Order: sequence, then structure tokens, then C-alpha cells
Amino acid sequence: MIEVAGLRVVLPPSTVALHGIDLSIGRGEFVVVLGRSGAGKTTFLRCLNRLVEPTAGTIRVAGRAVTGAGAAAVREVRRQIGMVFQQFNLVRRASAIDNVLAGRLGYVPPVPSVFGSFPPADRELARACLDQVGLGHLAQRRADTLSGGEQQRVAIARALAQRPAVILADEPTASLDPALTGSIMDILKAINVDQGLTLVVSQHQLETALAYATRIVGFRQGRVAFDGPPASVTPTVVRAIYGESPDA
Amino acid sequence: MKPGHFFVALLVLAWLVWDTGADPVRLTRGLPWIVDFVRRMMPPDLSVLPAALVGALKTVEIALLGTAVAAVLALPLGFLSARNVAPGAVFYPARAVLNFFRSVDTLVYALVFVAAVGLGPFPGVLAVVAYTTTSLAKLYGEAVEGVDPGPVDAITATGATRLQVLRFGVIPQVLPLFLSYVLYRLETNIRAATVLGFVGAGGIGFYLQTYLRMIDYRAASTVLLVTVAMVMVVDAISSRLRDRLV
Repeated sequence: MIEVAGLRVVLPPSTVALHGIDLSIGRGEFVVVLGRSGAGKTTFLRCLNRLVEPTAGTIRVAGRAVTGAGAAAVREVRRQIGMVFQQFNLVRRASAIDNVLAGRLGYVPPVPSVFGSFPPADRELARACLDQVGLGHLAQRRADTLSGGEQQRVAIARALAQRPAVILADEPTASLDPALTGSIMDILKAINVDQGLTLVVSQHQLETALAYATRIVGFRQGRVAFDGPPASVTPTVVRAIYGESPDA
Repeated sequence: MKPGHFFVALLVLAWLVWDTGADPVRLTRGLPWIVDFVRRMMPPDLSVLPAALVGALKTVEIALLGTAVAAVLALPLGFLSARNVAPGAVFYPARAVLNFFRSVDTLVYALVFVAAVGLGPFPGVLAVVAYTTTSLAKLYGEAVEGVDPGPVDAITATGATRLQVLRFGVIPQVLPLFLSYVLYRLETNIRAATVLGFVGAGGIGFYLQTYLRMIDYRAASTVLLVTVAMVMVVDAISSRLRDRLV
């Protein structure tokens, strides 16, 4: 589903964020990317939909080339990739349902959409996605009046509205009350299991990662330091990923 | 502040006082004249009230039309002068042009447009448009530069086009700011438009200047009172609308 080869990213002026990553992720995997902050997790995820421009290497997602693709082709592959962010990144003044509807932007006719006109089928789909995350009753509420956990669920609904093959989630629970971590991860897991979507989730909490992942990829200083099932994550592996103190 | 800086500042101030001929004694000697001027304005001659009201209405019209047109014209310019939206090749020239046109005041534009299209409110409207377009464009541009990049990323990640990203990621964030800037400009334009009549560009300033020239101070004071009332009413309405935008 995701094929990454030789992915290298140099951020201006000369910070090497990723040193040649090779990774292959199959359909239906639930991959949790672990690592300290600054290890390259976010850069890696953002390369997969070209929010960050790779310096070298190739990426294919859902059978389409991400690297080397022209503007229109990039937009088409982005439709296949839903993204959930640490800060939710909702349009604060828009209603929950309008935020979810934004997930359809890659599919609907562009010009009418700019004037706020969406086909009824897309509106129904957005509605269904909001119901799926359990927030159908808050459809008309302005996003900035929702709690953090609710906002992240709206953001997940927006990603689902893309009818994607892959969902990328960049530290989806890091801005939330720890008590909410489980509920958000449960929703992501359900999407993975029930709909068979491929998930790539970055996390800095080890326990959460081990509880939900089918595969752990550990990043350290822009390199893959570990790649394997949660069961084989030993204290030695944890040290390889985090260095000496695992809670850092 | 270092003592040296303070000393330099004092020197500069002293030179300014000397070079502008600022003299408290002269002001004190002039005070009786001001009192006399005010006394000759009393009581206001209310027979010119209808004329003053017509002039005030013209002034409001000039400011409203000028601001409305400028609010729209400034939109493309605002986005072109925002660093995070426009490419560098567009951004730098756009900024330079805006700064150039913004350095000239509405009244100076009015002189130019009176010469170009003749006397009346129309050159006043053009003058308001000329100044306000560039000043709003600059404010718009700064608002666009201040947007939270998060929602922009999120909309981009859905596969949206650039226009859709602008419409759904940027505009919702800046629109309330834009409207608030437009209202603020309307308030300052009402004030600016009161003097446009001095150079023949219509509105209440024409009456003020005429009565002052005719040494009819009682009529002039009526015009002044109407001006004050007009500015206060527009400010009150505008600031109430602005409060609602937040």
C-alpha cells in the first residue's frame, strides 16, 4: 500500500531530517511510528502526501507515484490519503459538518464548491462520517465550541470523508487529556479493523503504541532504528529507539 | 534608556521647538483671539442646518461608496502582497507599489482627481478609493500572513486545489479581520472626507469652507456641530458592528 525507497529529506538550510528511509507497508496494517521528538516522525508522515517535499527517494501510495507527480496527480493521490493532525487543524469558525465536508474537496466540482455548493451525495457521505465518529448530534456546532476530543473526532471524520485507502495520524492524541487517548485510538483501530484501511500513526507513548499497533517502526535521528511486531519490542529495542531514558 | 540616548533625544526636541517656532508665549498672547473666535460662533445659526445636513449626507455617501469599492479592489492586492500566498516575484513588487501609493494622503489624491474629473463628490469618491485600496490591501496582506497554517495543511491534504485551499483554509480565518479593517477604514474615511470639500471634492467640508470665507462664523459652527455628530454616529454604529465580528 505504501512503498518508500531511499527517502531523504534535507530541511533548509542544511538539517538532514531523514537519511534514506526504505519501508514497505502492506494493506490493512496498523503501523505505529515511535521516536523522540525530532526523530523524523512528522517529516516522514508529511512526505507521504507531499506536504513536505522529499529531497531524494521515491514514494508510492495505493499504486500511485507520490514523488515526481505533477500538481494534478499529487491532488489525486492525496485524496487517497486522509490525514489527522496533532492540533486537529479544523477550520475553527466553520461548523463540524462543514469541516467534514472539506474532506470531499478533492472529489467535488471545484468551482461550485468555492461558492459553497456540494452535491447531495457528498453531503450525505459527510453526514455518515460524522455519525461514524459518534458526533452526528453536533453537526451544526461551530468547531471551536467543541472539546479537544470532539474536535479530533471531527478531524477523523474529515479524513474518512475522503474515502481514503490510507490514514496518516501525526501524534493524534498528544494534545488531548491522557484519558481521551484510548477513545481516539479505539476509533482509529476500528477504522483499521472494520474498513480494512491502512493506518500509519505516530505516537510518543510506548504503551499506547504497543497496545494498538500490528507493527512498530522506531525512528531515531532520521533513521529506522527498529521495524517489527509489538511482541518483539524488548527493553533493548526501546533503548535503541529512545536512547537511555525511554520516557523522554 | 542610556543617558547618552536621553541627551540626544533632548537635543532633537530642542531643535524641533526652535525650528518650528513653537513658542508658548505666542500661544498665550493668541488665546484671546481663540476666545473671540468661539464667541463669534455663538449661537450657531440653525438656518443653515438643512444645508449642513445635506453636506453631511454627501460626506457619508463619499466615504461609504469609496470604502466599499476599495474593500473589493484591495482583495486581490492583499493576497498578492502576502508572503505566504504570493510567490516572491509577485510579493516584492506588490509591496513596493502599495507602499508608494499609501504614502500619499486622501486629500492629495482629491486634488489630483478634482483636476482630472472636475468639482463635486465624484473626485472625492475616487480619492477615498485610491488611498483606501492600498491601505486595506496592506492590512489584508498582513492578516493573510498571520493565518494558522494548520487548517491550510489540512485542506491541502484532502487533495483540494489551490483555489479551494484559499477558500476553505485561508478565507474563513481572515474574513472577520478583513471586515473589521473595512469598518475601521470607514470610520477614518468619514473624518478624511469632511475636509475633501476644501479642495472642491464635495461634502460637508465645502460648506464649512464657504461659511468661514464669508466670515459667517455662526453658520460655520452649525456645520462643525453637524460634522461632530455625524462622526460620532458613524463611529458608534461601526464599532458596534466590529464587536460582533470577533
